[in-house]
Amino acid sequence: MTSQTTIHLTINGRDHSLNVEPRVTLLDALRDRLDLTGTKKGCDHGQCGACTVHVDGERVLACLTLAAQVEGREITTIEGLAGADGTLDAVQAAFLEQDAFQCGYCTPGQIMSAVACIREGHANSDDEIREYMAGNLCRCGAYPNIVAAVRQAALEVVS
Amino acid sequence: MTVHNIRHADSRHGDASDGAVGGRLSRVDGPAKITGAAKYAFEQQLDGLAHAVMVEATIAAGTVRAIDTRAAETTPGVLLVLTPDTIMEIKGASDWLGNPPTQKTYSPLARTVTYSGQHIAAVVAETFEQAVAAAALIEVSYDETPAIVDLSDPKAGDGIPIDAMTKEWGDAEAAFAAAPVRICAAYNTQREYQAAMEPHGLIARWQGEELTIWEPSQWLDGMARTYAEWFGVPFENVRLVSPYIGGGFGSKALALAHSAVAAASAKMLGRPVKLVLTRPQNFTSYGGRAATRQTVTIGAGRDGKIQSIVHRGVNETAVDGMWVEPLASVTSIMYATPNFSSKQNVVRVNTVVPGAKRAPGENPSAFGIECAIDELAHEVGIDPLEIRLRNYAEQDPEAKKAWSTRQLREAFASGAERFGWSKRSPKPRSMRDGHQLIGWGVAAGTYPVRRAYGEAIVRILADGSVEVESSSIDMGQGTYTILAQTAAETVGVAADDVVVKLGDSRYARAGVAGGSRLAGVMTGAVYKAATSALDQLVGLAISDPRSPFHALQANTLVVANGRLRSPRGDGPDVSIAELLASVGRDRIEAAGDTMPANSTAEDRYKNYTTIATSIPHTEGNYSRHSWCAHFIEVRVDEDFGTVRVSRVVSALDSGRLYNPKLAESQWKGGIIMGIGQALLEEGIVDRRHGRIVNNNLADYLVPTNADIPDIEVISVGIPDLHSSVLGGKGVGELAIVGVAPAIANAVFHATGKRVRDLPITLEKLI
Repeated sequence: MTSQTTIHLTINGRDHSLNVEPRVTLLDALRDRLDLTGTKKGCDHGQCGACTVHVDGERVLACLTLAAQVEGREITTIEGLAGADGTLDAVQAAFLEQDAFQCGYCTPGQIMSAVACIREGHANSDDEIREYMAGNLCRCGAYPNIVAAVRQAALEVVS
Repeated sequence: MTVHNIRHADSRHGDASDGAVGGRLSRVDGPAKITGAAKYAFEQQLDGLAHAVMVEATIAAGTVRAIDTRAAETTPGVLLVLTPDTIMEIKGASDWLGNPPTQKTYSPLARTVTYSGQHIAAVVAETFEQAVAAAALIEVSYDETPAIVDLSDPKAGDGIPIDAMTKEWGDAEAAFAAAPVRICAAYNTQREYQAAMEPHGLIARWQGEELTIWEPSQWLDGMARTYAEWFGVPFENVRLVSPYIGGGFGSKALALAHSAVAAASAKMLGRPVKLVLTRPQNFTSYGGRAATRQTVTIGAGRDGKIQSIVHRGVNETAVDGMWVEPLASVTSIMYATPNFSSKQNVVRVNTVVPGAKRAPGENPSAFGIECAIDELAHEVGIDPLEIRLRNYAEQDPEAKKAWSTRQLREAFASGAERFGWSKRSPKPRSMRDGHQLIGWGVAAGTYPVRRAYGEAIVRILADGSVEVESSSIDMGQGTYTILAQTAAETVGVAADDVVVKLGDSRYARAGVAGGSRLAGVMTGAVYKAATSALDQLVGLAISDPRSPFHALQANTLVVANGRLRSPRGDGPDVSIAELLASVGRDRIEAAGDTMPANSTAEDRYKNYTTIATSIPHTEGNYSRHSWCAHFIEVRVDEDFGTVRVSRVVSALDSGRLYNPKLAESQWKGGIIMGIGQALLEEGIVDRRHGRIVNNNLADYLVPTNADIPDIEVISVGIPDLHSSVLGGKGVGELAIVGVAPAIANAVFHATGKRVRDLPITLEKLI
């Protein structure tokens, strides 16, 4: 398991090539090799959702994904969500306005999940938002504010 | 280290008054957190960084016979394998009270194992993956001895009396014996974990005799002191950096065994080392809340008036460490009683030393007394809210002092009104919705106002902006934001013209961010420093011959919205930047502290690196506490016994709120953690091996979004200037206190079953 391999990743529209062992996860590649530390490691076991990123537009847990698995696919992380001019995504803006976080550690995963949740059409009611956001744990207990933020952003995205 | 220094202007929101103290300003660190730009402590990227992984004991008691490291050492990429025999010598360090060490040396890797999960070895490698793989190859053999797995272990015994916890007045036993109504019940709370989303970890780097530690920390100066003592270097040689903290809840205030291992391996290797605990290791590398047992005995009249409370408590502690969870802290003050007795023991079991988790003491204490008074209400046939008012303590029953402020009556009234309490049908099992039994419960909570001295530096810069510096921290409570508001209001600039720098021990010193004391301490210090900076600014404007105000011969000037003018409105109107330019100054700097006059350097060191100088909440003529009342609705499935919280209304008295938007979020967070404690969370021990079975976030059930209903919080506080300079009381710890008993009382109302053993899981109801 020590031989390195060169992989090519497309992250937030930019191409990266890196030499890593095949066992390196997408999460550790992002955090330890590419200085993209916005994606967080909470459990490393697919239990908390803090490492949620988008692969080809769908939410994926980066800790349960090997970096080599996502070669040639479009990866979006929290750092790539805002526009090139810094304009916040509707979900980001709603999280700030609704105070949908405290310590901020689960927040990138929550936001990536929320963007996908809305895109999936799973933000039609508060109960549906709670259910489809239940894979992202928040220990500070920002849940009611997260629901409010997703609700607000879903309306903005639709209108 | 630039991210936390950025001007957080993007967060501007709402109207200008949001930026003053008491305004609903959005988090100024928010933009960094929602874009991924906020770099947490161990996310720094350093050249030559090596990665360490800990190896933990798989027995709960015994000795390590041998550690075979040969396979690990020959694994590619491995730089160092540490065992008790090969780690460098580390000195003993003083405790958090400043008591000198009892041992000359400290062994972060154990030869004698006293709990499962104790660190016994470590591997450092070029990459994280290599370190993980090599750690799995370490072979350990043990001589195992029988372990005491928990409080219910037959070997546990009655424990050690903690005399300092004894509280007595009147003759509680005799008054109980004579009382017409007597109730007595035992209440248990489970072992719980803080489970912050950011795991514990650090990066350690030595440059000669200077040590830099990037580590999430609730207490930079306290932890820096520990590192300095461990490695025998001056305090000033240790720099702790912790710009953002991914949740602490009491767990991140101390340097721990793995911290020592990381710093030691960095020194031994001559390279920076990063060590992050795995999620399972986060359940055994530091203590969660101790499991507790309480007996609450109440003697009362038929009118529900309490005549006597006899309380006995026990909490678990470690074989080689002491933790006392003060179980009478609410029992002794919530209700007026002429007779009172409380005693507490601790019982040693084979666990990591338990630690502070949100409202240590008050939380389990409230579970006992707030369930017991509900049982008394049922016994005498009085509404649970009414019985609390009948026994309302008009002064602190224990200290016999006036409350500084106690808006608990107001909390009961406004909470009950919003909840609709008057529509409650008193009889258990009398409210239902199809298959769901509905229950309404109430309970109160409280937390003392812990006070301390603080300091801060405030600078007015050439461009008219203001900079605040403190080595205090923001783990989500909103320190960045409220200190920006405090400085903005005091100096007279907009909040987005203030930059707050926190989380670096090179800044002005700060004590622990714990016990809900940081906001009160730091707003006071920043207010003082900012006032002094403002005085300097106005003084310059009046007296400097180059100032446009010099000719005005004014006694004072008004500074508002970043501009200076005469209070009479005559004369010039110039910006702070223009004034500073006119007098040739590039900055004004003021340090402010709230230490007593004539404090020595030693006093200051002790104040910021220990908790020994905390000011008692009953100092002087007043007893100072935050208060709250929770009204909670549960729905219990009649067939399956599943409990869901469906509605929460809480009214809270934290005094004046520095920022209601952020305080409300903290309150909701405390309530949600309380829902977890009441219904979900429990560290489960494998009785054969004394091991925590559910040491991960899938099996240790913290609340998810789907578990939480809408929560309404109401502020009923009034400014309390006996508690802090600007009138606030504690926020963060308060709201969890009383949630579990409110839920237990609601479950009783729904089902007629009294569950006195947390968490309330379905098998206890069917």
